[in-house]
Amino acid sequence: MMSWDFLWRHTGRAVIFVTLCGLTFVVCFPLVWALSTSLKPKTEIFATPPTLIPKAPTFENYAALVTGRQQYFQSGGQQVDTGATPAQFFTRWFLNSLVVTLGSTLISIVVSTLAAYSLTRFRYWGRTFVPYFSLLGYMVPSIIFVFPLFLMMVRLELTDTLLSLVLGYVSITLPFCMWLMWAFMRSIPIEIEEAALVDGATRMQVFRDVVLPTALPGIIAAAIFAMIVSWNDYLFGRVFLNSLDNLTLTVGVMLFFEGTHVDWGLLMAACVLMTVPMAFLFMGLQRHLVAGFGAGAVKG
Amino acid sequence: MARRLRGFTLSDQAVGVLFMVPFVLTALFFMVYPIVEAVRMAFFSYNPLRPDLSAFVGLSNFSYIFDDQLFWTSFWQATVWTSFSIVFQTLFGVAIALLLHQALPGIAIFRGLLLFPYIVPTVVIALIWRWIFNPEIGIVNYALLAGGVISERIYWLSTPEMAMASTIMLNVWKYTPFVVICVLARLQSVPLELYDAAKVDGAGVVRRFIDVTLPQLREVLIVVVVFRTIWTFNKFEEIYLLTKGGPGTSTFNLAVYAFEQSIANLKLGVGAATGVIMMIMLSIGSVIYLRSAGFAREETHG
Amino acid sequence: MTIKRREFLAGTAATGLLGAFAAPSLAQSTKSGTVRVWGEPGPYGGVAVAAMNEWAQKNAPGLKFEIETIPWDGVYVKLMTDLAARRPPALISVESPLAMQLMAEELLVPLDDVADKVGRDRLVPGLKWDFWGAWKGKQYVIPAHHQPHLLLVRTDITRELGLTDPDTWTWIDLANVARTISQKKPEVAGICMALGRNLCTDYHFAALLHQAGGRMFAQENKFEVTFDSAETAEALEFVRELHQFMPKGAVEYSFLQVVDAHVTGRTAMSFYWGRTLGRAAEEAKPVFEATEAFNHARHPKTGRRSNWNDFQGWIIPAQNNPYIDEVKQALTYQQTSKEWLVKYCHSLMPNVAPVYKDVADSAELKNHPFYSSKSKTVDTYFKASLEHSSSTANEMLKGVNPLAGFVHGRSVLAQTVQKVVIDKMAPRDAAKWGARELDTIRKENMRLIG
Repeated sequence: MMSWDFLWRHTGRAVIFVTLCGLTFVVCFPLVWALSTSLKPKTEIFATPPTLIPKAPTFENYAALVTGRQQYFQSGGQQVDTGATPAQFFTRWFLNSLVVTLGSTLISIVVSTLAAYSLTRFRYWGRTFVPYFSLLGYMVPSIIFVFPLFLMMVRLELTDTLLSLVLGYVSITLPFCMWLMWAFMRSIPIEIEEAALVDGATRMQVFRDVVLPTALPGIIAAAIFAMIVSWNDYLFGRVFLNSLDNLTLTVGVMLFFEGTHVDWGLLMAACVLMTVPMAFLFMGLQRHLVAGFGAGAVKG
Repeated sequence: MARRLRGFTLSDQAVGVLFMVPFVLTALFFMVYPIVEAVRMAFFSYNPLRPDLSAFVGLSNFSYIFDDQLFWTSFWQATVWTSFSIVFQTLFGVAIALLLHQALPGIAIFRGLLLFPYIVPTVVIALIWRWIFNPEIGIVNYALLAGGVISERIYWLSTPEMAMASTIMLNVWKYTPFVVICVLARLQSVPLELYDAAKVDGAGVVRRFIDVTLPQLREVLIVVVVFRTIWTFNKFEEIYLLTKGGPGTSTFNLAVYAFEQSIANLKLGVGAATGVIMMIMLSIGSVIYLRSAGFAREETHG
Repeated sequence: MTIKRREFLAGTAATGLLGAFAAPSLAQSTKSGTVRVWGEPGPYGGVAVAAMNEWAQKNAPGLKFEIETIPWDGVYVKLMTDLAARRPPALISVESPLAMQLMAEELLVPLDDVADKVGRDRLVPGLKWDFWGAWKGKQYVIPAHHQPHLLLVRTDITRELGLTDPDTWTWIDLANVARTISQKKPEVAGICMALGRNLCTDYHFAALLHQAGGRMFAQENKFEVTFDSAETAEALEFVRELHQFMPKGAVEYSFLQVVDAHVTGRTAMSFYWGRTLGRAAEEAKPVFEATEAFNHARHPKTGRRSNWNDFQGWIIPAQNNPYIDEVKQALTYQQTSKEWLVKYCHSLMPNVAPVYKDVADSAELKNHPFYSSKSKTVDTYFKASLEHSSSTANEMLKGVNPLAGFVHGRSVLAQTVQKVVIDKMAPRDAAKWGARELDTIRKENMRLIG
C-alpha cells in the first residue's frame, strides 16, 4: 500500500492545483462577468447564448462615463434633452471619492502615528487603556456612528460637503489605524533610538529620521486599510451628502440602478472603474499583508 | 519642524503629551462624542424633520423596540445570517489557507486572486450580484439551466429562504479572504520542526493537520471568529444594498432595522436605542475576545 | 421630427396666455449658484428644468437650475435626509402623498400667488387643485402632471385566445383571463404587479383597495382607521388569487421589474403607468404595438374601476431655501409656456398627462406619433381615467389625507400585501396588522390632523 506521503507528493499536488484553479474561477467569476458585460455593445448583453468574451468588444460604456457625454432620451422618435444624467457625474464623483479617501486617511494616519509613538515610548497614566479603547471603537458598527455624526454635521452646517465625509470617515478609520500603529510601534526595538539620543539627536530628529522610516511598512498597511474602508463606504455618503455634485462614487452609482430602466453595460463599466483603484492598492497591499495582519488584524 | 523646535528644549514628557493631543481631540470628537450622543438619543424622541419637537421620553424607545415584533425577527435573522456566514467563512477560509500554504508554481497569483474579493466595494458586489443572479436575464440561472443542474429558474432574491442564502453567499464571498489572510499569516509562523517531529512519529497528512496545525491555529481562529461574528452581526451595507431587508422583512438585521427606524420611520431615538442594544451585545463579545486572546497574547509577544 | 420653436411661440402668443408674463415682473435677480431641483427618474424633470434655465438666462443669469433625479424607491429616504440635513433642493417634483405630508408639517411655501398667475381655471375638467395639495385654505402644490396606473393588456394574446374586451371585465373576468393565459401560454405570466416592499406595491394595492370600496382612513371622521375591513380583506384575497398567475419573482418587484416583465414579453398583462409603452416603443416594437391600456377591471359589487393617480406636483421647501422667489418665477414661466408644457408631456408619452386644458386640447400636443398609433390608450391615460382617479393622499377623492406620506414611508400597504403572499397570513389577519400600523401612524401624528 502506498503511504499517504507518497500520494501526497504525487497526485496530491495535482489535485491541489486543480482545486485551486476551480476555486479561483468561481471566486473571480462575478468580476470577470462584470468586466465582460461592460465591454459588450447593448445588443450583445442579452444575447443567447451569452458570450464570456465579447464578440464585438466596445469601450462605449467607458467612454460614456469618462467623457460624461450628454445622453439623449428617445420618445416617439424625438430626442429629448433630459438634463444631466448620473453618468455625466461619474468623473466628478470619482474625484470626490479620491479627495475624501485621501483626506480621511491622511488625518487618521498622522494622528495615529504620533499617538502610537507617544504611547509606546512614554509613561503616563492611561497609556495602556488607549489601544484597547481603540480596539473597542473599531468594533462599533458605522450604523451607530452615522446619525450622531450626521446631527453634528447639521449643527456645524457641514452637511453636503466633502469635509463632513472626511471627518466622518476618521471615526471609522482612526480606531483601527490607532490599534495597528500601536501594535507596530511596540514591535520596533527602542535601542536604535536610544543610541541616537545618546549621540545628541533631539526627540523630533529621532522621530523623523529613525522611527518614521522603520515604521513605514506599518504606516503603509494602515493607510491602505483606511483607504479601502473610506473608498468602499456607502452608508456615510448616503446620509451626509445631498447634491449630485458632491456625491461619492458608491452613492452615485446606486443612482444608475433604480428607475424604470437599467443600462447594465454602463453600470458594470462603472463597477469596474470604481474597483480599479482598489485593485492597485491591493497589489501594494500584498507585500504588507502579513505585516499589517500580524500586527493586529483589520476592519471588515 | 524639528529645526524650529530645537530652539527651545522640548522635554521628553512634552513631546509625549504633544503627540497625544491630536489623537485625544480627534477621538473625543469623532469616537467618544458620537457614542455618548447615540446613548443620549436613545432616551429622546427625535424626528429629523422636526428637531424642535424632540423630547426626553425615558425608556419608551426601548419598550417600543421590545414590543416590536420586527425587532425580534431582525434579531433572529441576524443570528441565522451570522451563524451561517461565520461557519462557511471559517471552513472555506481554513481550507483555502491550507491550499495556498503549499509551495506550488504560481501560488502568488492564486493568492492574489483569491484574496481580491475582500477589497471590492460592497456597492460593486451588490450590483454585480443583482446582475448575475437576476432570475430572468442572469448568467447563473442560464448556466445552471443549460448545464442541466436545475430544470426551473431559481428566484435568488424572491423567497425569504433564497434571499437569506444569497446574502450569506455574498458575505461569504467577500469576507472569506479575511479568514484566509489571518490563517495564512499564522500558518507561515508554525515551526517546521513540529511537522518533522510528527513525521518521524509516522503521522499522515490528516493526523498532522489535527495534531499539529489545528492546535497552532486555535488562537487565531478564536480571534477571527469573535471579530467576524461581531462585525457580521452588525453589518448594514451587505444586506441593505442587495435586498433592502426583503423580500418582506425576511433579511432584516438589527442594523437595517435601526436604519429603517431612523429614516423611513423618522424615529432617530428608536434607531439610537437599537444601536445601544447592539453596543451592549458587542461589548459582551469584546470581553470574550479580550479574555480569550488579547491579554494572553500581550504577555507572549510583549 | 422636431417641433419648431417659432410655430410654438406664435401659437402661445395667439392664445394670449403668455401676454401677462412676457415682461419679467421683478428686476433681474443677482443671485448666483446652482438651484437644485428634484425630479423623478425620467426625462420630464430635465425638460422642466430646461424651461427654468431659459427663464434664468433672461432674468437671473447667475443661476443654473440642475435636475437631480431621485429613484422612486429612494425618494422617501432622500427627502428625509436632505430636509434633516437642512440642504433641501430649491424645488421638488413629487407625488401627492409626500407633498401633503410636508405641507401639513408646514415645511412648504404656500403657492397661492403662483397658482393665481398660472391660472386657476385652466385645469382639465375632472381635476381640482386640491388633488395636488391644498391645506387649511392655502395651495401648497402646483400641478406638474397627472399619471394613473392602469391595466396594460397584450391584445395580441387576448385576441389569439379569444378573450373578451378588457373594457368589460370585472375582477372575476380579470382573474379568469390571467388563469387562462397562464394555462395556455406557460411561457408568459398571466398578469404582473409589484409585490415587493416598496412604493410601487403600495400604489398598486391602493387601487385594488379603493376598487373594493375600502379605505385606510376616514377623512371625514378625524382620520379614524378603517383598514381593518371586509373590503381590505377582499382586496388582499384578490391579490393572493392573482399572485398565482404572476411571474415568480413578483414578491420582490418594484417599478423597474414590472416594466421589464412587460417589455420583455414575460407577462401578458400588468398594472402600470404609461412608461411601459414608452420603453416598449424603444426596445420591443411588437410588444408596443400589441399593448393597450384600459381602466382597471370593475369590482363586481361596487362597480368601481379606481386607479392610483400620482397627481405629481411642484413644491418649494420653506426652510433653508435661498431661492424661493426665483424658483417661483421660474416655475410660473414653465407653467405658462405651452411650448414647454407640450415638450414636457411629449418627453415621456403617455406617462405624463397634461393638467391644463389649453395644453391638453392643443394641436401641438397631438403632434406626436403615439396619438396616431395609440390614440385610445393615450386618451385613456390622459382623460378617460380621470373619473376613476384615486390616491392614498386623497382616498376616493373624499378629502386630503396628510398621513399617506407616513404610510408609504413605512411601506405599510406593501407589507400588508406581503404578509399574505409571502408569510401566508390570512387576509383578515393581515388587514388587522395593517390597521394597527396605520393606527400607530395616526396616533403619532395627531398634531397634523388636530
